[in-house]
Amino acid sequence: MSDKIKDKSLGMWYLSGILGGVKITFAHLIKNLFSPSERVTLNYPEEQHTYSPRFKGNHILTVKNDGSLRCTACMLCATNCPADCISIVASEHADPHVEKFPVKYEIDILRCVYCGFCEEACPVDAIRMGPEWQIPDLADGNFIYDIQHLAYRPQLKGGIISVVDEQERHQAGI
Amino acid sequence: MVKCTINGQTVEVKEGTTVIEAMHQEGMKIAHYCWHPGLSVAGVCRLCMVEIQGNPRLQVGCNTVVTEGMNINNTSDKVKEAVQWGLDFHLINHPLDCPVCDQAGECGLQDQYMEFGQYDSIMAEPKQKKHKVVDLGPTVVLDSERCILCSRCVRFTTEVSKTNELGIFNRGDHSEVGTHEGTSLDNNYSLNTVDICPVGALTSKDFRFKQRVWYLKEQKTICNGCSTGCNIKVYFNTEGFFRVKPVYNEQVNGYWMCDQGRDIYKFANKQARYQGGKRYNQGQWVTDEAPGHVAMQASKVIAQNKNKTALILTGQYTVEEYEIAIQSFLASVGNSIGIKNIYHWNSHISEINNFDGTLLRGDRNPNTKGLIKVFEKYNIQTQVEDLEKAIEAGQIDTAIVAGPEDLTYYKQSNQKMVSLISALKNIVWLQSTINPELEEKVKSNLFIIPMKSYLEKSGTFINFNGIEQSFRAVTTVMSQALTLGQAIGLMMGDQKAVLPAAETAADHAVKPFVQESRPASQVMAEERKKNEFIYKRGATNER
Repeated sequence: MSDKIKDKSLGMWYLSGILGGVKITFAHLIKNLFSPSERVTLNYPEEQHTYSPRFKGNHILTVKNDGSLRCTACMLCATNCPADCISIVASEHADPHVEKFPVKYEIDILRCVYCGFCEEACPVDAIRMGPEWQIPDLADGNFIYDIQHLAYRPQLKGGIISVVDEQERHQAGI
Repeated sequence: MVKCTINGQTVEVKEGTTVIEAMHQEGMKIAHYCWHPGLSVAGVCRLCMVEIQGNPRLQVGCNTVVTEGMNINNTSDKVKEAVQWGLDFHLINHPLDCPVCDQAGECGLQDQYMEFGQYDSIMAEPKQKKHKVVDLGPTVVLDSERCILCSRCVRFTTEVSKTNELGIFNRGDHSEVGTHEGTSLDNNYSLNTVDICPVGALTSKDFRFKQRVWYLKEQKTICNGCSTGCNIKVYFNTEGFFRVKPVYNEQVNGYWMCDQGRDIYKFANKQARYQGGKRYNQGQWVTDEAPGHVAMQASKVIAQNKNKTALILTGQYTVEEYEIAIQSFLASVGNSIGIKNIYHWNSHISEINNFDGTLLRGDRNPNTKGLIKVFEKYNIQTQVEDLEKAIEAGQIDTAIVAGPEDLTYYKQSNQKMVSLISALKNIVWLQSTINPELEEKVKSNLFIIPMKSYLEKSGTFINFNGIEQSFRAVTTVMSQALTLGQAIGLMMGDQKAVLPAAETAADHAVKPFVQESRPASQVMAEERKKNEFIYKRGATNER
């Protein structure tokens, strides 16, 4: 109980600690006011942090040189997906050199666990995980990303070109 | 009988048996692509190499006949090396495009590659380019690059279908399977070539790209396409049924089935089915009712017209269903006017004995024999014409029709039957597939009760030859749908009909959920020792 502290002269023992804290706070305030480049925090959402290109964020479907989807609809990503969030409908292609391609490629982003297994399973570099990490939206349906979003959303500026080139593959006899 | 030793095991086989056949009999593993038990021996793939004691070179197992005292080995290092190199030769021009290949997951080459493949090929030359996506006919697509030239499909068209459409053209590296100018692979057994193709060279147009095979489950059943009753496997998952393949049965279909039988999964899928019961009463449709409820409604009508109710059955249901249906019908309605009011509706009476020489029969009902057998048991002697006569004479005003599952072969017959009975006062129609003809034409009191398709129920079909074949339910598509026995039972006032006696006791017992399947190491929350921590302000913390 309080009867342990009897010496009144020791009653102000905490003041030095508090003043020390206030000093640190004000030092930071002054530093942040006059040298903004050294600030630790961001003015979100006006300023946003960009992660490195290796960050495993939102999915990107890559495209060929001609702008069509690189994906061959082999469904290995869907098979490998532990969250079962990828659904693909494959179709014949008009071009006889293309075996098949996806007419529907949807990722249920709220189910996705961002493990990157889809990226690993893909034999043709058709799906990558990019540096984007924000998925805010208003309606439920908007969280199911379709081909239009995954491959051609405005942030991708016309599509990311895959490293696997069809012409090279044909020349190599694959 | 000949005695020999295979891999150190003494085996006794018939005279004239080849090594590969002997190993198959014993359930031993041996690699093979070109050999198929239903076809002649070609000996072109060179993968079934075996070492025979006393013979300096390896021999092919498919073309070597077992002799007395032969000592055969296919597990030695010498054999393994031969298989490995044989496989590498097969892969010289094979594109290894497994990710986009439809055969991946059930491919002989893929299995061998995983076991014996030399993952980095030592071939310096580029692969030969051949034709891709070749349209061989109305059902099959060819990819020549994937073909390993085992010639199974060519031998199938010469030996089994006897249509000789396929051949191997060009020489050496440029060899390709193809058809002659002006012909195409167009016969009723063409899809068997897809089944026997050990790689993904021949693919079925119907199944192409629909599903990856590892997403599908398979279940054995009997084809209900005709009275031959081929043994089949149905491939399905939660999205529906996707394809049908034959299963070997020496007495019925051998290794094959016809292309028309490949379509029998289509009418069992949800899209083709009645999703709920339907009633048409005084110009008004009442839809999406539980099938059992529609049957109860129908039972009220039938109870009023007991003496004038007829039961019309098609040969598309199981023997067990006929038994229950006829029994409960006779028990309730009885033989009112001397003759028993039960009739056999057969669509193709004139074609019933037609036969295409291989498998397909003119009678497109799987169980005509079964229905006739049950009719004989209950001493029902009505002919087909009797129904028309009875209707004309006004002896019938309520008809219970057990319609066909597959309407493709009942098109004309269905029109005829609908126009025949459309004048009746009450019609109870039992069917699994949607019947637009019926809904359009009939303007009297109509009850439509959704039935289970043959893939959703267990039972027995008796084929043209009198062979009884029992099958088990594959899966459930429409959980509400009734079997014929349940529907007729309900209509005859037996409310317990929907609960089969065998299932009730076991199914409704309360089963302990976790206890039985719990591993010994698992500790439940109530069993574990709990720590206590109660915080008391100001008290000295004692530990």
